[in-house]
Amino acid sequence: MYGIEEDELEDQFAQTSQEEAEIDENDAWAVISAYFEEKGLVRQQLDSFNDFINTSLQEIVDENKLITVKPQSQHMPGMQVDDDVEKTYEVEFGQIYLSKPIFIEADGETAVLFPKEARLRNLTYAAPLYVDIERRDKSVHADGSEEVDVMPYPKVYLGDVPIMLRSDYCNLSGKSERDLCDLGECPYDQGGYFVINGSEKVLIAQERMANNHVYVFRKSQPSKYAYVAECRSVVEGSTRTVSTMQVKMLSRAGQKGAGQCIRASIPYVRADIPILIIFRALGFVADKDILEHIVYDFGDTAMMEALRPSIEEAFPIQSQEVALDYIGKRGSTIGATKETRMQYARELLQKELLPHIGMEEFCETKKAYFFGYVIHRLLLVALGRREEDDRDHYGNKRLDMGGPLLANLFRQLFRKLTKDVRGYIQKCVDKGKEINLSSSINKETVSRGLRYSLATGNWGVQGGPGEIRPGVSQVLNRLTYASTLSHLRRINSPIGREGKIAKPRQLHNSQWGMICPAETPEGQACGLVKNLALMTYISVGCASNPVLDFLQEWATEDLEEISPSVIPKATKIFVNGVWVGIHRDPQHLVDTLRTMRRQVDVSTEVGVVHDIRLQELRLYTDYGRCCRPLFIVEDQAIKLKKRDIINLQNREETGFTWQSLIESGYIEYVDVEEEETTMIAMFISDLRLARQGGDGGASSLATYTHCEIHPAMILGVCASIVPFPDHNQSPRNTYQSAMGKQAMGMYVTNYQVRMDTQGYVLYYPQKPLVTTRNMEYLHFRELPAGINTIVAIACYSGYNQEDSTMMNQSSIDRGIFRSIFYRSYKTEEKKQGSLIQESIERPNREVTAGMRHGTYDKLDDDGIAPPGTRVSGDDIVIGKTSPIPDDGSGMPQRYSKKDGSTSLRHSESGMIDSVLVTTGADGQRFVKMRVRSVRIPQVGDKFASRHGQKGTIGITYTQEDMPFSAEGISPDLIINPHAIPSRMTIGHLVEALMSKVGACMGKEGDATPFTSVTVDNISAALHRCGYQSRGWEVMYNGHTGRQLQAQIFLNPTYYQRLKHMVDDKIHSRGRGPVQILTRQPVEGRARDGGLRFGEMERDCIISHGAAAFLKERLFDQSDAYRVHICSTCGLVAVANLKKNQFYCTACKNTTGIVQVFIPYACKLLFQELMAMCIAPRMVVG
Amino acid sequence: MAGRGGSLKREPQVELRKLDDDYCEFVLKNTDASMANALRRVILVEVPTIAVELVEFEANTTVLNDEFIAHRLGLVPLVSSRVHEMKSIYEAADDDDFLDVQLSLDVKCTSDDTISVTSKDLQLDPAYPDIHPVGYHDPCDRGILLVKMRRGQELKLRAVARKGTAKDHAKWMPVATCVFQYMPEITINHALMDTLTDEQKEEWCDADPRKTFKLNKLTHRVEVTNPELYMYDGEVIAKAEEMGKPGLVTIKQKQDTFIFRVEGTGVLRLEDIVLTACEVLARKIRNLQAALEEEATLFDQGGAAPMQM
Repeated sequence: MYGIEEDELEDQFAQTSQEEAEIDENDAWAVISAYFEEKGLVRQQLDSFNDFINTSLQEIVDENKLITVKPQSQHMPGMQVDDDVEKTYEVEFGQIYLSKPIFIEADGETAVLFPKEARLRNLTYAAPLYVDIERRDKSVHADGSEEVDVMPYPKVYLGDVPIMLRSDYCNLSGKSERDLCDLGECPYDQGGYFVINGSEKVLIAQERMANNHVYVFRKSQPSKYAYVAECRSVVEGSTRTVSTMQVKMLSRAGQKGAGQCIRASIPYVRADIPILIIFRALGFVADKDILEHIVYDFGDTAMMEALRPSIEEAFPIQSQEVALDYIGKRGSTIGATKETRMQYARELLQKELLPHIGMEEFCETKKAYFFGYVIHRLLLVALGRREEDDRDHYGNKRLDMGGPLLANLFRQLFRKLTKDVRGYIQKCVDKGKEINLSSSINKETVSRGLRYSLATGNWGVQGGPGEIRPGVSQVLNRLTYASTLSHLRRINSPIGREGKIAKPRQLHNSQWGMICPAETPEGQACGLVKNLALMTYISVGCASNPVLDFLQEWATEDLEEISPSVIPKATKIFVNGVWVGIHRDPQHLVDTLRTMRRQVDVSTEVGVVHDIRLQELRLYTDYGRCCRPLFIVEDQAIKLKKRDIINLQNREETGFTWQSLIESGYIEYVDVEEEETTMIAMFISDLRLARQGGDGGASSLATYTHCEIHPAMILGVCASIVPFPDHNQSPRNTYQSAMGKQAMGMYVTNYQVRMDTQGYVLYYPQKPLVTTRNMEYLHFRELPAGINTIVAIACYSGYNQEDSTMMNQSSIDRGIFRSIFYRSYKTEEKKQGSLIQESIERPNREVTAGMRHGTYDKLDDDGIAPPGTRVSGDDIVIGKTSPIPDDGSGMPQRYSKKDGSTSLRHSESGMIDSVLVTTGADGQRFVKMRVRSVRIPQVGDKFASRHGQKGTIGITYTQEDMPFSAEGISPDLIINPHAIPSRMTIGHLVEALMSKVGACMGKEGDATPFTSVTVDNISAALHRCGYQSRGWEVMYNGHTGRQLQAQIFLNPTYYQRLKHMVDDKIHSRGRGPVQILTRQPVEGRARDGGLRFGEMERDCIISHGAAAFLKERLFDQSDAYRVHICSTCGLVAVANLKKNQFYCTACKNTTGIVQVFIPYACKLLFQELMAMCIAPRMVVG
Repeated sequence: MAGRGGSLKREPQVELRKLDDDYCEFVLKNTDASMANALRRVILVEVPTIAVELVEFEANTTVLNDEFIAHRLGLVPLVSSRVHEMKSIYEAADDDDFLDVQLSLDVKCTSDDTISVTSKDLQLDPAYPDIHPVGYHDPCDRGILLVKMRRGQELKLRAVARKGTAKDHAKWMPVATCVFQYMPEITINHALMDTLTDEQKEEWCDADPRKTFKLNKLTHRVEVTNPELYMYDGEVIAKAEEMGKPGLVTIKQKQDTFIFRVEGTGVLRLEDIVLTACEVLARKIRNLQAALEEEATLFDQGGAAPMQM
């Protein structure tokens, strides 16, 4: 007994010390798991949309809620003008209400709409939006008495707002996995997209430069200016266009004698204005006052000297009035009086100069300070004290997610709606008609506007402010689960693709951890289309007021109340780019701010940037900043301890979640700009090293503030699938990231109840033998896209040269890489006018015009081919006719109907898998049909490993022809050894080696990057399994039975089947369709088009000396055309061969007409030239 | 096989080592790799068996489509002891030929649990009850899973099994694997070996992943545990060179002795497979001989031009 007690005591002691123990690399994964369990992979989309619904929507309505209309006196004869009553009509929009997505059937029945139904019936998954409206008719009588007639209109329907799947307003939110299955949803589907007219649409995050930042750039020689400081000023939450202000310093080589003047360009002013004049116009006249706002420290002679030319330049203008007039003269008003000019300039400075500082009156002090600050920054760069700003720094970038994009669109649409309402009321009032408010609201404005932009991707309202951006909304890629996820996390930079400037395309240091370094397309969009790293969080934006209040409380001195002389000793404080004041003890302020943020007293997404060198403290609360979570380090130790990890692992009982980690101050979100002011340890072990004073006690090691959660989190969705990416040449990871999106697997679990236009499903998908830990969060094990194949890297018979591969036919027979291809067809009974109504039926050859040449025999009596029917190219699968209206001639018509049937694609065949007959959005009959075909691997099909090693099958060998090892293993695939050295995909080989170990031990291999696994470890393990340690095997030739000279690298490797298959590409044509206009063969396989016989092919024939053959092929047998030419004028003549009459319309003669043969394309060219008043004359001998 | 080039007349010998239901090991002696490989190839792809080739679906409401289930049925091994009575569609001559075996399947799920449809649910052809899936009558065998069903799903089909060879499709393969290996000859240079310490010997033995060599702790000698374990990977030779003692061991392949390992699937008895294979091989050679003789007579008569190379 005694002994046991002692043991227990010891245990307890051990446990407490263990609880306090530092976490290790493995524990970090518990944190990561908790993150993904709570957030999922499309959090940025959902957060952003929820914010739009919960706050932005109401804010936008509140922004322009009031419509005031006063009757405008109209001169209507015979109308009584009531002069003594002044009437005002007010309409105010109030509270908005959003319901859950519903659908109103054509017969008026309303039902809750679920995404499955919306997808199948081509409906829009949208919820109706209602708003409370109050109408106030005010009449002010001549005696001053006022009368108000208030009419409330509660919950007026405003339009439909498409709802993002799995957002708070989605019917699926909060549903259990079981419920989701019952609703026909895939439980692994994460939402984050919309369903518009049945198609799934994603909003791609749009990258842009951050507003209200001051950027200073150095200009290169041909430019007139040496340095330019600019500020793109935008008022928070407004549709106003950006008002850019630039301050430029002339280059030394400028005008002679002028010196390096500094001038500013401000909106609506044609010429650049010397900066001193702007200060004077703002009311700061004395040179000293002005210099105080720019230089702060008069001891700084270099900077004072740099301003000398500017002071001298502005010498003639010495008062505010003259300065205003100077600006007004250069404004857009022409020929106005001095008074109006000055007024114009005053308003310009108030409204258009740096509007984010303030647009009210009496903002001059603040504006002057900010303007001075811009010049100060410019001078710092000009004097070489600071580097110019980096345009590509990711801290200067903002991402517009779905929420802000929708908010902008909705704002424009709502403006349009209120404008229309105002117009209507005005009209009613002017005409003295009764105002019918509910009918004045066009219910389609908002609904159609949102639907149009989401359906087409053209973002913006026609005729609205700003340009219309294409490609913002895209059809969600459903090829593989990973491709779907990756699509939901994509970022687009709307910079011209043609531009050859490389800088914005390059990976920037500041993108570490925010943007996947591997996943980007090749070619034109390279580096412009990016993907988020796994743990990136995009700020949704929060109000700046709490931060401003906090600053006030913590002794921040307002700019209005300070003397400029104290600035050099204090730190400038900016909130969202606005200079709000100064502080004399910034370190203390920053510490308190950070502490409060870690306690969630201030929003966790507030960015705190303390720039000690510039003496600035920049705070950000705006939306679209990239942030990422990091462990907080204090005293060289992570604050998170083992005990918290244990709590986290049992989060079901303890309720300790990711959110708790944030609230406890163990982890915080750090944005890109703030990251620059931190010291981040790469590994937890680095901290241990730092504590021990390792690395020779380097001083930088003593200052860690944060620690990476795990460096593998810098990767995005597609790159996370690559095993050992840290052993590959980097472009290979990029190639795999692109190829992983074309791999077949299981794209969703509910594919059987979906009607996707195209779908590929692998027969026997397998989870990989070698996985990365990131895959767990991508559900790659549950929805895999590949098969573990036994791969030999060998030269065997030569059929695997140049990236082709040999595949084992017996393995193919047994089902390796077999897949199903689904294609869906759609038809509906469209209505054209009230008379013509199409009908789905079996067309009757007797009465139907324009019937196709495919067979109609496969149609059932209802006009639809039944499931289980074998169909092949051009077969009619859905019959449809539309009546031909009577032509009014009274003559009996041969045909009463026109064929509008759907036929199978020319080059495809398969079985009818399923048929859906339903009604569409307008209650019309609506049919969707899914055709399935089995795709068995064959010569020409494309396969790839997970390392950018792709290849097509060059030959298939049956098992007996394949090489074999003494154990009886024969490979499924033989790739060529030449694929390895130049591509340096070592990860491929390491994966193979580890797969073999995994297969022997019955375990999954861990190929997570940046871990301590080494090739030697794996080799030793393989040796213990009884295999040659480097994965080589002695093999025997299958044809001869002799041992192969070299040992072969024979190991399992995870391979993907890519969607490119020969059967979809094979194409040949003898004769076929031609274009009507040119009579040239049509283009493309889908249209049975021709294959181009181009110049080089032509040259080839010429060089063979086969001119006659060439003429015969390219002319006689192609588009020879007979024309008759007048030998006098050389133009085409009229020929009536039947009557043997010839006539030249130009010469008006009937003789000397000759017949020639020219290509039809040539004849067409001549005619087109003639249409351009060029007469091509053919001279005939 | 009379060697024309004056080579020695060989008499291949077989030494049977092990014969189980699903594993067979024998040594083929006094022949060369071409013979051994020919035998291997014939065993793999030219021994006929029976497999499902045609499936007619009456009802299929399962999650797997018709093609999928048909493919799975094809891969079910059927006991093919009566293949020799059957004719494949290529051999069929008259109407009395035994071509088809009719199997059928009719399962409906009425329970709330997911049920598994296996090869045991197949109904046999009443005319040929001895042609059935492997393990059909074995109560311990759970059968081969074809598809899983949920309440209300149904599968009804007729499957036609036919004779065929794995040249056409791997489903007709009678074995899981059939491989041979050259018999190794291992001689340890004990004199040189004795220059090594025990640790070095141990290290050297460990270099072979298959553990072909063992250090006898008593005699301090390195012994060969089983020469056939050796995979010709050359690890020990490389190790010896690395240790600065090349020639510690010499390993040769006996070019005329082959260890055959055949793993069966239960479709046919392994001895039958090997014997049938020999028969097929012999027939091929006879055919070749007959064709050659015919060609020779034609050539002698000057009727046919010699074949152009």
